[in-house]
This record gives sequence, C-alpha cells and structure tokens, in this order.
Amino acid sequence: MAVLSVNRRRVIVLLALTSIILLTLDLEGSSSASSLRAAFGVVFRPIEGVTRVITRPLSNSWYGITRYDDVNMQNQLLREKIAQQEGAAVAAAASVRLAQELLALNGLPTLAGINSVTAQVIGDSPSNYSQSIEINQGSESGIRVGMPVLNAAGLVGRVTRVFTDRAVVMLITDPKYALSVKVVSTPKPVTATTIVNEPNATTVTVVPIPDTTVATTVPAATIPGFTPGATTVPARPVGVTTLTIPTSGALAVRETGILEGQGSSRAPMVRFISTDRHFGAIEVGAPIVSSGGSMSLAPPDIVIGVVSRVVPRLGTAGPMLEIKLVADLSNLSFLRILLYRPITELVAP
Amino acid sequence: MSRLLAIVASRWTRLVLLTLILLSLQTTVLSDLRPFGVMVPLMLLFAVAVGAVHGSEIGAIAGLIVGVIYDCVLTSPLGLSSLVFAAAATGAGLLPYFVREPTWWSRVIAVAIFGALGEMLNPLAQGIVGYSGWLNPRVLTVAIVVAVLAGLTAPILVPLSRWTLREAVSR
Repeated sequence: MAVLSVNRRRVIVLLALTSIILLTLDLEGSSSASSLRAAFGVVFRPIEGVTRVITRPLSNSWYGITRYDDVNMQNQLLREKIAQQEGAAVAAAASVRLAQELLALNGLPTLAGINSVTAQVIGDSPSNYSQSIEINQGSESGIRVGMPVLNAAGLVGRVTRVFTDRAVVMLITDPKYALSVKVVSTPKPVTATTIVNEPNATTVTVVPIPDTTVATTVPAATIPGFTPGATTVPARPVGVTTLTIPTSGALAVRETGILEGQGSSRAPMVRFISTDRHFGAIEVGAPIVSSGGSMSLAPPDIVIGVVSRVVPRLGTAGPMLEIKLVADLSNLSFLRILLYRPITELVAP
Repeated sequence: MSRLLAIVASRWTRLVLLTLILLSLQTTVLSDLRPFGVMVPLMLLFAVAVGAVHGSEIGAIAGLIVGVIYDCVLTSPLGLSSLVFAAAATGAGLLPYFVREPTWWSRVIAVAIFGALGEMLNPLAQGIVGYSGWLNPRVLTVAIVVAVLAGLTAPILVPLSRWTLREAVSR
C-alpha cells in the first residue's frame, strides 16, 4: 500500500473536520452557514446566469424531444377543461366571494385578506434527494422564511431560504416538510323522498325521518292563514326523486393531523388523525386543507389535496391518509407567496 | 506577489474554477435533463473521476472541496455532500489496488460503480443526520440510472479531471 504523504493527510483531516464543523453548525441552525451560502450565491449567480443563457437551447431541445406528445395531449385536455370550467368558475367565484364576506362579517381570517407576491420559478433542485425549487423574488419583496407558497391549484410548499432577489422553496413532497392540516369529512347525507305530484297538484316535501309513513292529509298547523287539508298527497305518486337535506348534525366535521412529505416518488401522508367516533370514517376524496392557528406557518383553509387512500392502523394510532395533491409539482411556473406570518411571530411596533 | 501568482496558477485553484462551471451546468441544464426522472450528479461523478485518475488522497481532497461547493446550493445540511463525495472519490482511488495498470475503460467502470455507490450513500448520510425520508426503494433505481449515466459521461470526465489536477511542469 502506498504511503500517504503527511501533508496531504493533514489536508484531508483538516477538510474533513471543516465539513463536520459546517455540518454541525448548519444542523444547529447557525447563521454562519446561511451567511456562507449567501456569500457563495453572490459569486455563483452570475456564472449560473451565463450558463443558463448558453444552455437554454439544449434544455429546450430536450423538452421538445421528450415532451412533445405530452404537451400536445395536455393542450387538448386543457382546452376541454377550460370549456367545462368557464361556467363553473363564475359560480365558484360568487360562492367564494360570499364565503369571504361571511368570514369577514364574523371577524374570521380569510386568504383574500393576505398580501401576496407573484414569483416565477427559475431553477429546479440540483439533487436527486431534495425537493426544492428556486424563485425570482426575495427579501426585497417582503418574502421571509416559512411563508406558504401556492400556485393556482393549491399549496406547493414553503419558503426555506431567502436571499435579496431570490428564494428557495421546499416542496410539499420533501421528507423534511411538515404542516398541520385538517381533514374535512363529509358525513353520510340524510336522504329524503320527495313525491312529485301531478301537474296541478301541490308539491309536498316529506319530513326526512327514516321509515316515515306518508299521511294522506297533512295535520292541522298553527300557522296563520294555513288551511289544513289544502295540501294533500295524491293517492298515486307520479314520480319519486331523492333530495339531500343537511341536518344540524350532518355539517362537515373537521379533524386535524400532520401532513408529511415522502419524497418525489410517493404521495404525502397525513398522520395523527384521531379515531373519534363523532368524526366517523374518513372516505377517499375527503378534502385536505391547512389548519392554520397561531403557531402554524400557513393560514387556515389553503387547499392542499384530497384523500387518495386510507391506511388503517391498529390501536389508538389512528389511520394514515395518503394525499393526492391538487397542485402539479412537476410543472410549476408562476407561484404566489402569501406574505403571511403567524401572530406569534409578529413583533409589536 | 510570486506566491500569490503561484496560488492562482495552482491546480487547486483550477479545480475550484472548474467546479463552479460544472456546478452551473448542474443547476441549469442538468436540472432540466432528467432521463428516467433521475438527474446526472455531475459534481459527484467529477469528484469520483478525480479519485479514479489521481488516487485516493487527491480524490478525497477534491471530493471535500467539490462537495462543500455543491452544498452551498443545496437545502441539505452544509458539509454533508462534502463527506459523501470524499468517501466516494476515496473509494474510486483504490482502483490501482484491484487493477494493476488501469486503462481508460477500467476507470470508466470505476466511475460508474463508485458514482452509483456515492449516490446511494447520500440518502444514507441524510438519514444519519436525521433526514430519513429519502431511504426508500427508489434509491436503487436512482443508483442504477446514475451508474449508466456515469458510464456515458466518464469518458469526458476522466480526461477533464486529469487536465484539471495535473502537476505543473517545473522548468
């Protein structure tokens, strides 16, 4: 075996120790590691910018070769989807506005009341073991570490590192990502039977109680002007439809848990869901939204995704939920950073 | 003054400058070009190529330098890639102990094997410092694809690393 030269051995030991010290400092959250990265960024960004300009044709050619069919297909699908959603969007916008007005009337926080900054994605993660992206807005736009990042569909991640004119966003699929969320469970609806009369008869809605016997004559009531016996169910119903009637106990129930990323190849999971009888069984398709709260880095009710699989577990651990994200993380372009900070982090003036 | 010029002209300065260029390729074009969803870990492969060409000692030093530069743009803890790269490059530097007179293709194979091992070592190292989420079966897929990509890029990286760290000819 060759004899290692003493000088080189010293250099190796010195560099290895430096790495270990840097590792320790970074894991402890020391600002010196952040300062080093920031200083390196100042030197490196111009080089990266030049390389990006030079290599852009190569990237574009690659995308042209590998994604041409996908882009065509997506284009067609999107055209169809836009046509379908144009009508629904108007109704949805009206509903959202109404909901925001109601929340504002009750003094509750809404997403519409939070300022935001729009940013463009300028870089992907330069590693196979990191789920992050780089955006072209930084501290000079008011962005701070921890702020939630959204696209048009829903939550994408959170800001983990901020520089003057750029920031790094950790995606929701990164294993280091965790967020308090709530699962909105929709209880099984009460189905009532409505009997539709003949054209000239009055429509009568039957009280939604199971096994209700439909009386031929409505009993006397104390309502002024109401004439008992004026509304009668015909002897032979001509049509039967089902109608969902929400009762006071059938409103949406919410349960909180912790959403954790599982890497790029696996869907995020929600843990610590309690097995509360009142909450009932969680069904596939139940929406997942951020829970908010004074300690949470994200405001409440940001749409994250829907439950795609429920993994039951024994004991009191509660089920684990696999989440299908609403945001397509593989195709991010423009993002919105909510300039939101939890009340516990706000410094009094 | 002459001392400063000697430092500027040294092979280690050349290594740092070339690493910056490779890093810019890594963060731009190679972040976009992901065959089978796997990115070519150019920085790691370069460090491993240095080890395969110049031996364990030079490989370890180059791995530590290249790794710490790479760490500056990652979200993983600073210094982690440095240690991983150094270990992989040191391993590649052991090639002369297995092959009496390494040829260019034996070096290419060494880069492919130790590149893949280094790529597998990365999630393991992250797990050791507390970020265990990356240890899953996908690591094997990534390692296999990286081995193939390393085999394709090594014929370029091996001469590049030889040129970068060649000793200055004394007159």
